[in-house]
Amino acid sequence: MLDHLILGLTAVLHLKQFMFMIAGTVIGLWVGVLPGLGGPVAMAILIPFTFSMDPLSALLMLASISVGAAFGGSVTSILLNIPGEASSAATAYDGYPMAQQGKAKVAMGLSAGASLAAAIVGVMILMFASGPVAKAALAFSPAEYFALAILGLTVVSVAALGSTVKGLAMGALGLALSLIGIDSILGAERYTFGFVYLLDGISFVPVMVGLFAITELISMILEGGTIAKAGKLEGSLWDGFRDTFRYPFTLIQSTAVGAFLGMIPGIGATAANFLAYSVAQRSSKHPERFGKGAPEGIIAPEASNNSCIPTSLIPALTLGIPGGATSAILLVAVTLQGLRPGPMLFTSNPELIWGFFMGLLIGAVMATILYLIMIPWFALITIVRIELMAPMLLIVTLFGAYANERNMMDVFVAIFFGLFGYFLRRHGYPLISLVIGLILGKLAEGSFHQALMISDHDYAVFILRPLSAGIFALCLVLVLWPGVKRRLGLGGAEVT
Amino acid sequence: MSTDSRGYWREEFSLIALLLLFFIAIVALSYHIPFDARLFPLLIGSAGILLTLGISVEQVRRRGARDGSIPRNEEHVVSVDWPRYATALLSAPIFGLLFWLFGFIIASFAAMLLIPTLMGYANRRRLLVTAVITVAVLAVIAPYLLNVELPQGVVGDWLIDKLALRAG
Repeated sequence: MLDHLILGLTAVLHLKQFMFMIAGTVIGLWVGVLPGLGGPVAMAILIPFTFSMDPLSALLMLASISVGAAFGGSVTSILLNIPGEASSAATAYDGYPMAQQGKAKVAMGLSAGASLAAAIVGVMILMFASGPVAKAALAFSPAEYFALAILGLTVVSVAALGSTVKGLAMGALGLALSLIGIDSILGAERYTFGFVYLLDGISFVPVMVGLFAITELISMILEGGTIAKAGKLEGSLWDGFRDTFRYPFTLIQSTAVGAFLGMIPGIGATAANFLAYSVAQRSSKHPERFGKGAPEGIIAPEASNNSCIPTSLIPALTLGIPGGATSAILLVAVTLQGLRPGPMLFTSNPELIWGFFMGLLIGAVMATILYLIMIPWFALITIVRIELMAPMLLIVTLFGAYANERNMMDVFVAIFFGLFGYFLRRHGYPLISLVIGLILGKLAEGSFHQALMISDHDYAVFILRPLSAGIFALCLVLVLWPGVKRRLGLGGAEVT
Repeated sequence: MSTDSRGYWREEFSLIALLLLFFIAIVALSYHIPFDARLFPLLIGSAGILLTLGISVEQVRRRGARDGSIPRNEEHVVSVDWPRYATALLSAPIFGLLFWLFGFIIASFAAMLLIPTLMGYANRRRLLVTAVITVAVLAVIAPYLLNVELPQGVVGDWLIDKLALRAG
């Protein structure tokens, strides 16, 4: 193992590799800040530029973009309540209230500390657990994947502020929206009404831009003033960075949640972000502080999404199964370099693999340093007048919706979901359940059908497999628990 | 019960009705889809209908329990004057329309000048400078750094064709 680490370090400690990593990280931080233009989009745009690079440089630059975007995505979540990345959406729950209290720098310090610690742990897990964990993930059958998708949706709906029924209904709405387009099993058109645009289904980016960015913009215009209500900034970056390590349990727990979910293909950093937040809220001694600027509410989602990204590469590199969009694009890059992902890659190209792992480790530190340098400038946004900032945000967010597919329809979809989302949010419907439903919809339906096909249409397959039955039982407990708790008089006031 | 709270509850039940209609449509319109492709929509649609009915029961009870008043966390947005409310709700759709008709540059410039003015921002000079810089930066970044050609809009395209300005 030590030989491999030295081999990787030797491969990556070159000025050229550092330059590519810095370039990738800066691009990542920048696109992470822009709502709608996430890391995968930037990686996809830059893939053609990697053809002429050597494989390690290409992989390092692309991976640095993804690491930088994960860091950058939290900036707008905290400062504007608009996630730059879907995987940073839950960070806004407590990051934004903290920014409103004038503690934007503290919030971003917390985010940087949690991201750095979790990214390092994630890369360590990637290094040492690739083989065995990938084998374990293979034990998941479609029935378990379906159960996991439903569990993800249930946890988010139950934990979201407001009524559980509304949360579940929003989840169902997200799942229903994911049904639009060509069905992946039979190729049948569903709910397209002859519109070519709808054949591929509703794109996730404009929905996210609408639900998060436009709804927030509407609220901002209504409220006016500045984001930091007092119009000034308190606390320092280092206070936040230091505070991260005062919550070791939340940090370790959320890193573990993210790392575990990263290893399961299809779950992704977005689901990990929300699940870690929910788990942290449920295990906290002061759950009532969540949503009002609790440090754990920033540490949990940031730690989980940053540990999820490296571990999502485990099934991608060892089995060729992408864990999410980022690892899918990295797989494309590996293939374009004439290499074949899989166990053989570790034996035939150890220098590349271990150089890549060491590069990820160095990249996490690099992203943190660049992020910390840029934070004081980012934080000034919170004391700019909303009157000037609102039109800028409108332009940038709708440009993000357009730029994703260069399609005007995406702009209209974003506007529609923005207006609809505003009224839903105003009436206490958790929008995040809708987004999670939309993300997990395809996975849920695909797994549902595959499980039925494998079991010869025996619906009992979902409860006869112990793991799947256990996950469904957990869903049931999560839904029923708040009611049971109320009846038993165990506290838990209704949150409206 | 005040007019505001009446409006709030009207809005609440309209949303419930809209959601109910959506889920009913998901179930009803799946009728012509082959069985395997229809199964999941049927399940999700039916679950959605039940959940929406659950919400309506919950809201009727909440309304009764609160004597029609607006729930605490959901009332802050109600007390805003109508020009501000209209600006908030119409900014995005009007920007989208201008974007489609006249392209990104003109729509952005109009948004940068009009929205702050409608919100009561008084420093015209700063506004103009900010608008010019913002639009110029985006006009440079989009095509050259992000490789995204900014659309000229339906009217812009028509004018370019009419005046034979298109390259090639």
